Amino acid sequence: MNPDERHYRKLKPVPPQRFRTISEIGEALNALGQGFVTTFRHLFRKPITEEYPEYKRTLPERSRARIVLTRDPDGNERCVACYLCSAACPVSCISMQSAEDDNGRRYARWFRINFGRCIYCGLCEEACPTSAIQLTPQFEHVKREILSMVYEKEDLLVDHSGKDKTYNFYRWAGIRTGDRDKGEHEREDKPVNVRSNMP
Amino acid sequence: MPTLTIDNRRIEVPEGTKVIEAAEALGIMIPRFCYHRALGSVGACRVCAVKIVDGTRKGVQMSCMLDVEEGMVVSTDDPEAVAMRRHVIEWLMLHHPHDCPVCDEGGHCLLQDMTVSGGHGLRRYLGNKRTHLDQYLGPRIQHEMNRCIQCYRCVRYYREFSGYRDLGVTGIGNRVYFGREREGTLENPFSGNLIDICPTGVFTDKPARYFGRRWDLQRGPSVCIHCSLGCSVTVGARYREVARVEARYAKAVNGHFICDRGRWGFPYTNEASRPRAARVDGEATTVGEACAAARNRLLHVAETAGSEAVACLGSERAGLETLKAVAGICRANGWADPLFWLERRARENVAAAVSLLGDDLVLSLRELEAADCVLVFGADPLGEAPMAALALRQARRQGAPVFVFDPRPVELPLDFHHVPLAIEDLPECIRSLVGAAGDRETARGADPTVRSFTDQLAEPSVPPPPEAVAALRTSRRPAVVCGTDVTDAAAIGLAADFAALMKAQGRRAGLFYLMPGANGFGAALAGTEAASLEELLPRIEGGEIRALVAVEADPLGLYPDRGRIEAAMRKLDLLVVLDYLDTDSAAAADVFLPSTTVFETGGTWINQEGRIQIVRGAHRGGIPVSQTGGGGHPPRVFMEEVPGGQAAASGQTLTRLSPAEVKGASEWVRLPPDTDKQSGTRAVLPDPSALRFAPERTALSGAAGDEAMLTVIAVDRTFGTEVLSSRSPWLSAEETAPTVWMHPEEAGRVPLSDGDLLEIDAGGGSLVLPVKIVENMARRTLVIPRHRDAAWQRLGATRLRIERDCIRKAQPVGENAPVKESPPR
Amino acid sequence: MIAWIAGFAVLLVKIGLVLGVLLFLAAYLVWAERKLLGRLQIRYGPNRAGIFGLLQPIADAIKMMTKEDIVPEAADRTIFLLAPAVVAVTAMLMAAVVPFGPTITLWGRQVPMVVTDLNVGLLFVFAMSSLGVYGVALGGWASNSKFALLGGIRGAAQMISYELALGLSIVPVVMLAGSLSLVDIVDAQASYPFILVQPVAFVIFVVSAMAESKRIPFDLPEAENELGAGYHTEYSGMRFGMFFIGEYVHMQVLGALIAVFFLGGWRGPLLPGPLWLLIKIIVVALVMIWVRGTLPRLRYDQLMALGWKVLIPAALANIVITGAVVLL
Ligand code: SF4
Ligand code: SF4
Ligand code: SF4
Ligand code: SF4
Ligand code: FES
Repeated sequence: MNPDERHYRKLKPVPPQRFRTISEIGEALNALGQGFVTTFRHLFRKPITEEYPEYKRTLPERSRARIVLTRDPDGNERCVACYLCSAACPVSCISMQSAEDDNGRRYARWFRINFGRCIYCGLCEEACPTSAIQLTPQFEHVKREILSMVYEKEDLLVDHSGKDKTYNFYRWAGIRTGDRDKGEHEREDKPVNVRSNMP
Repeated sequence: MPTLTIDNRRIEVPEGTKVIEAAEALGIMIPRFCYHRALGSVGACRVCAVKIVDGTRKGVQMSCMLDVEEGMVVSTDDPEAVAMRRHVIEWLMLHHPHDCPVCDEGGHCLLQDMTVSGGHGLRRYLGNKRTHLDQYLGPRIQHEMNRCIQCYRCVRYYREFSGYRDLGVTGIGNRVYFGREREGTLENPFSGNLIDICPTGVFTDKPARYFGRRWDLQRGPSVCIHCSLGCSVTVGARYREVARVEARYAKAVNGHFICDRGRWGFPYTNEASRPRAARVDGEATTVGEACAAARNRLLHVAETAGSEAVACLGSERAGLETLKAVAGICRANGWADPLFWLERRARENVAAAVSLLGDDLVLSLRELEAADCVLVFGADPLGEAPMAALALRQARRQGAPVFVFDPRPVELPLDFHHVPLAIEDLPECIRSLVGAAGDRETARGADPTVRSFTDQLAEPSVPPPPEAVAALRTSRRPAVVCGTDVTDAAAIGLAADFAALMKAQGRRAGLFYLMPGANGFGAALAGTEAASLEELLPRIEGGEIRALVAVEADPLGLYPDRGRIEAAMRKLDLLVVLDYLDTDSAAAADVFLPSTTVFETGGTWINQEGRIQIVRGAHRGGIPVSQTGGGGHPPRVFMEEVPGGQAAASGQTLTRLSPAEVKGASEWVRLPPDTDKQSGTRAVLPDPSALRFAPERTALSGAAGDEAMLTVIAVDRTFGTEVLSSRSPWLSAEETAPTVWMHPEEAGRVPLSDGDLLEIDAGGGSLVLPVKIVENMARRTLVIPRHRDAAWQRLGATRLRIERDCIRKAQPVGENAPVKESPPR
Repeated sequence: MIAWIAGFAVLLVKIGLVLGVLLFLAAYLVWAERKLLGRLQIRYGPNRAGIFGLLQPIADAIKMMTKEDIVPEAADRTIFLLAPAVVAVTAMLMAAVVPFGPTITLWGRQVPMVVTDLNVGLLFVFAMSSLGVYGVALGGWASNSKFALLGGIRGAAQMISYELALGLSIVPVVMLAGSLSLVDIVDAQASYPFILVQPVAFVIFVVSAMAESKRIPFDLPEAENELGAGYHTEYSGMRFGMFFIGEYVHMQVLGALIAVFFLGGWRGPLLPGPLWLLIKIIVVALVMIWVRGTLPRLRYDQLMALGWKVLIPAALANIVITGAVVLL
């Protein structure tokens, strides 16, 4: 039996339910009635709605709103302009240009998020290999002027590490940068001496 | 032809096919790192594991190492094989650095694909990673050895396939290292293929470093227009800037690879100095107005001096559409005959080659590799059409002896016989080979033209090289390669006769011409009657021709007699230039109109074997975002118009400025609907057999052997002479410095030693160049690269004969430095 | 001539009155529905525009009228533009035959409190109701969108199915009243409302009426979580508003019909006739809202099964029994 067939067998139509006894009809009516009673009772309960501008509740840390670019624990920009967030973004609202700085670090020469398009899905954060891009609970940043919703790197960069306090990509990457040479990263051996005969 | 079963599907493949190839023929891509169709198998990576369910060797086997057998049963998704492949990935990742985010290979990395598709997401090994120091490999290739997975593709390509020795492998076990003996630029002019061939990010494109991910590029199939071979490439552009050119597989042409000229020759399209606006008398204006101005002025010239007073010049670098437009505008307006060539010799040579090339003889680059004996006449493959050199190497690797008859110090990445003869001696040399190897007895049985031709052949004064004769005698698939740049019509014709003769003897002989420009073939087809600028110059100088329209042509910068052409251009009332380069002619134009490059509007190009290849633009064009200011940002506000986006294809602009309506412009290039998108189609040409074995080619010219004369040839080099790629900043270090090559004997006569300055009095003035003395070249010959700094435009012709006393040693004086007179770019 | 003009003027006044009440009520039914639904779900409902959100219908009207009226490129333009009008107009026309009070005498003239007393009023109501299906079906078809088409087809199928039950359930009422004129039917209930003698017909009628007006639990044609918004997915602005108005007018008219057929129409103690009718309509509407707030949507096969296998047989049986009783 191929998988499709198996699937369809499972979906064989369920024989129609019949009310066989008066008691079943009674049960059904009772259930219907209960529903009506429940909703009717609600009419006299105080609504549970929290009214927004008057009452603002503190959102959980992981709520998804305004996006920031964080820094690593050493205070350097975390973003390495790998383009993964822009690739993951379903509405294509992230754009950037990668470049190499004097220290050999790849970074974003410019980085732009068009919040007019962003749907705050959080896929960019999920895609980011360096924990650089993070969504914050700060959701009240809507403006009337549409162009002011286009945030540049200066507007996005913050001075903290956000939710991930420890990760520092360049300590692990094995890439030679200004402060770390080959073999000086986490869990790395010293570079191989290619001129040695010893195994 | 064994039949085997792979994943419950049966397939019949030729004997000797590897299982991995048989699976590929069924559309099953077995993972691979070390196996490559062009490089073959080594079994280094072990990721191609499959389970052989039935056959002589059962169990998990490497599909790239195993030949197919009759009745073999293969399973690619057997749990054992899958587990094996998963383990391979995991162990390859043990030492792979954690740097995909900053690796330019990411997004098109084979290792990344395999790791993700194999489901290896978490590193279980907690030990340390081994690291490697990287090397500086020149301005074009970035080295990052940590990423290596020891598949050996790079060295196999570099040393075995392309024949250069300066990249190799050292170390054992985990410490295997792929690099140079010491840091330095890679010497291989095909080194760029390392980038394509390395399955990980060890070798990446340095000029495109950190420009963007592949998925962000506007990519499109294209054709390289840096030489006449027309290799297939893929273009990637982003933000109105071409970022990368990669090799694209083309079965009949370049195979998997391209040369570095083709890979990094594209910056001309991005140049900040590229003229984007139309100009009238030096003032920038809109294309519409400039077209109107040009039209009015052309009309005025035609009215006052007659329509014959207007000429239009195309060039061999323009696409077929443009060339057809040139022909069409001349016909529609009754102007002088269209011109496609600067020099008469070039026009005649290419016309001769095109008319002699027939379906019966023509070889594609791929077929050239299969030859078992190659004779190269008057061509420097590496300089004129680099990939041809690689094809010759493949032929050589399969045992074909290669003979090169050329005056230049030819270098090829293979062992070959170089017969350095003066270019005038070439026809006679071919004649002698035809006589000796042509086996008159067999030829006598052939048709009467062939017979009378061989009978009339003059007895050669020089005996043919015995090795060549011996090799030819036994060859079944001889190939004749002939250049059209430094040769003359006699040699070109004889090359065709030679190939045809061998064909008549029942061998699978073939003919392979090299041509100038990417579309020399097209230029020869577009205007069979067309004259060259050289032939028209007297009429310009005589005041008969009063206006010139130059379309993607640069007479000022490329005509071999700078003084004469400058004077002639000054005599014109009107010079209209359509181009995408800021050439000298563009600077001197009265009306300038910008046009687009192959990357923007595409076009149709015909390569040297007559293969028509259609190119579509890869991006819209316009001034690159990085040059429009604002720190390289795209603008925040949506713009309706593309900055610098006014330019249109030259052919289109040309029809706009034509006073008379040019009819049927859209019909010019129509290809049969079944044209193969990948390899194009061959142009259908009239039967050339009538032109072969012309009796006038049997007689000796007598020009050879004149000791009193020297021949000067201005030649193409791999880098630095081709118009477009010589603008590439990344290739400039590899350019051949302005110099003149001489044989030691000739140098001794002057006398000169290496590095001395030589002054040459030539047709167009005198030029001073440092001498380079080399053994492996012809006597009685001076070779000068057409480098922009070599002042070769004072020679007066690209091939000329001068008296011996026209050369003398020059003193190194400041102002005599070998610089070009033209205004600096 | 004078009489004719006066008659015409009276007619105009009546039409104006009925339309005004219908539209005003439609607007505030929406408000009431949102408000009540909110409370049924322990929310507030609209409460920002005016006190208790009373200005919400006005805000909505302004919004709809100022919204761009989008016509999809691939739509059948004429039909697409006309469909909402069909829905709204047919719903309003149905109200023409509903009596809303006893005949009064004005300046010596008998003025019946109904726009027009057709002697086949009942048939007219059903005819209009069936025409309304066209609006839905055509709107769905002309949008040239999958969701709209599915919605339109569902709407057509559902309304045709339930029309039968609706019509059949009314036959006993006609048998009792002996007339097809709505005025006569109301008059026939002078002593007792028919709900007392025809409870089964009442239930069938109410259920079918809800299905006719495409309300939850019978809102399959617009099932927003399956079809976007069903047949009006592609509509925007006031054209969407017209569908909306049509639906709510339809709801009122059906409420009025329930009142007319089973609850004695405008008849009632103490209060004047029109007021009674209004109260009955509103009560029916509130019950419908309550149902909406309580019951989930039926599955499509359940919907069809209920119509064809339960309601229609029950209605037929009811006719036979009523016939037998009347005969006896
Ligand atoms: S949250 Fe979603 S929509 Fe917004 S930028 Fe990130 S990926 Fe894009
Ligand atoms: S995914 Fe992270 S590191 Fe990569 S470009 Fe986006 S923010 Fe920068
Ligand atoms: S450098 Fe690249 S091609 Fe060479 S062995 Fe390593 S992974 Fe393979
Ligand atoms: S061989 Fe010629 S056509 Fe091929 S890539 Fe090189 S320059 Fe381009
Ligand atoms: S591809 Fe077969 S072992 Fe590498």
